[in-house]
Amino acid sequence: MSTDTSTTPGASSGSLLRRGGWRLERRLEVKPWHEVVTLVGAFIVGLALCSILIAAADKSVIDSYRALFDGALGSRRAIYETLVQATPLVFTGLAAAFAFRARVWNIGGEGQFFAGAMGAFFVSDLWSAHLPRGVMVPVLFIAAAATGALWASIAGVLKARYDTNEIITTVMLNFIILLILSYLLGDLWRSPDTFYFQTVTVPESAHLPLMIDGSRLHWGFGIAVAMAVVVNVVLRRTALGYEVRGVGINRTAGSYKGISVPRVTVLVMAISGALAGLAGAAEFAGVHHRLQLDISNNFGFVGIIIALIGRLHPAGVVVSAIAFGALVNGAVTMQIQTGIPAALVDVIQGLSLIFVLTGAVAVRYRLQRTRTDD
Amino acid sequence: MTDVLEALINVGVLASAIRIATPLLLAALGEMVTERAGVLNLGIEGTITVSAFGSFVVADKADSLWLGVLSGVGAGILLSLLMAVLVSSIKVEQVVAGLALNLFGIGMAFYLFRAFYPQTGGEMPRSDTFDFAEIPLLSEIPAVGEIVFGQHWLTYAAIGTCPVLWWALNRTQFGLELRSVGNNPAACDMRGVNVTRMQYLALAFGGFMAGLAGAFLSVFLSGLFFVDVAAGRGWIALAIVIFGNWRIGRILAGALFFGYLDAYQLSLQARGVEVPHQLLLALPFALTIAALVVNRRRSQEPLHLGVPYFRGER
Repeated sequence: MSTDTSTTPGASSGSLLRRGGWRLERRLEVKPWHEVVTLVGAFIVGLALCSILIAAADKSVIDSYRALFDGALGSRRAIYETLVQATPLVFTGLAAAFAFRARVWNIGGEGQFFAGAMGAFFVSDLWSAHLPRGVMVPVLFIAAAATGALWASIAGVLKARYDTNEIITTVMLNFIILLILSYLLGDLWRSPDTFYFQTVTVPESAHLPLMIDGSRLHWGFGIAVAMAVVVNVVLRRTALGYEVRGVGINRTAGSYKGISVPRVTVLVMAISGALAGLAGAAEFAGVHHRLQLDISNNFGFVGIIIALIGRLHPAGVVVSAIAFGALVNGAVTMQIQTGIPAALVDVIQGLSLIFVLTGAVAVRYRLQRTRTDD
Repeated sequence: MTDVLEALINVGVLASAIRIATPLLLAALGEMVTERAGVLNLGIEGTITVSAFGSFVVADKADSLWLGVLSGVGAGILLSLLMAVLVSSIKVEQVVAGLALNLFGIGMAFYLFRAFYPQTGGEMPRSDTFDFAEIPLLSEIPAVGEIVFGQHWLTYAAIGTCPVLWWALNRTQFGLELRSVGNNPAACDMRGVNVTRMQYLALAFGGFMAGLAGAFLSVFLSGLFFVDVAAGRGWIALAIVIFGNWRIGRILAGALFFGYLDAYQLSLQARGVEVPHQLLLALPFALTIAALVVNRRRSQEPLHLGVPYFRGER
């Protein structure tokens, strides 16, 4: 019997490992607590492996992690700063989650972030001297969503029309927009009073108001959380959300049910790009108030990771974005206090993601004692 | 204006075009083989960074360039094998695994770099670099000698790899099997070809080549390591594979062309010519998108690229 199982199609995928009277078999049902355990486990394993790195650098593991925690969540001020760091990640995380739900692989969040920031700067530069803040801020957000959507739509249309691989096109578009921005910063948009590649600082009317006075926490965070709610409602309660999920689960079946797959692809790409564009607007209007080439700390790419760790669910995205924001924020304190390079956080993030991915597969299996007739 | 034209055929520009093309060619050949086995490895950028670091630190600390190259290559293979475990054995989504590898690899390399060389604010640490391997007699030929025969040994090796790889892929049983794994893993499985093993081997080769590319950046070109040492070359390599439609000859041409564009814009900048050099740099990426559209009917893209293979599922 057991010799049969390894050659029977279907059963074999359940027997990744079968040694010493134990075997792995597919779980019939994955419960939510399985997933939570996996996520927490992945994070802990990531931290544990990184303590080896810390110890190897002759630093105290406990002191380092304490500094990391203090910097991330140790005080009111630290928490606000963590939320500032989390803000763009919520947007880019939502952008990735929305696209991935339809199994549209938008890897271009980074480029769409910049497209959005450029749109926001363009209208702010044009109108901020004439418009009051109450008008200017919504206008610049809309502009950012539009430019982000437009930039992403290139990949969406190419995919729908010519079936080009959107992974490749979005990656290429990332580079193109950055080079366009670099060109503009060196030429048309360059601030006249500086040698650097940056624009002028835009007037106050194009600045996002602060959520908490005396901190750096701006309303971008509020908008980000609101967008998470909106995305959740769209996915669950609207015809579009139904189509998105339908295409994601099975393209062919979706098209038989009357869903136009090309139309959904373009739409999903545009909405995803708009969300990433909003991240650009929030960083521009909330933090930097001008454009330069380094306004993104890999937000587009980290957003993809956040979407996956958040299980492509808006609430999960918000939680994991805040967790990542905390790590990034705490790392700065850790570096100052203990001399541990802040790059350690990238390692923690990368490792956690690898274990989350592994765990997501592992959770579908369970160890089972093989029967005695084995 | 004469500057702009003169730089087009300047000997120095052409020589540096080949130099710039070398890591692109190495990484692109490796990625092509990986993709032929059905695995889309988006983690090349991270692999190049890790290898550049591995080469740099060993070359500097052990004072041996050859050991440096060896450890860079070793690091590249190790990281790619991690990718293989993730995508071929555990069958994680390939795109995501690749991105995770980038984040992890670049973070790790930079962390270790800072751990080995604490920030001092002084000069950047610098390792030795290989000298140019000028070929006797041939390098005496005017112009051609300097352009073609005054390069690094790894450049000759990279170009020499092309015909060998072509033969291995198209004229051997192993190459046929490797290509089939990317096109129809189920059929291969049925014929007794071990799909997982093939993908491990292909990824290891990709890591080996990306490792050489990383070594080239640190211990051949500059003797430096910094976090952005790969500077998008991993992604450009990915573009070259598509631009070259998964064919070795065109990949070689693509790498040389992309290298040439870069060398050309660098020389224009150095001459202080006011041209939008960024637009020249953007050209490869735009052309790659165009190539995707134009080639779609005769695309050599492996049919099963990026799709994890589960036995017994269709």
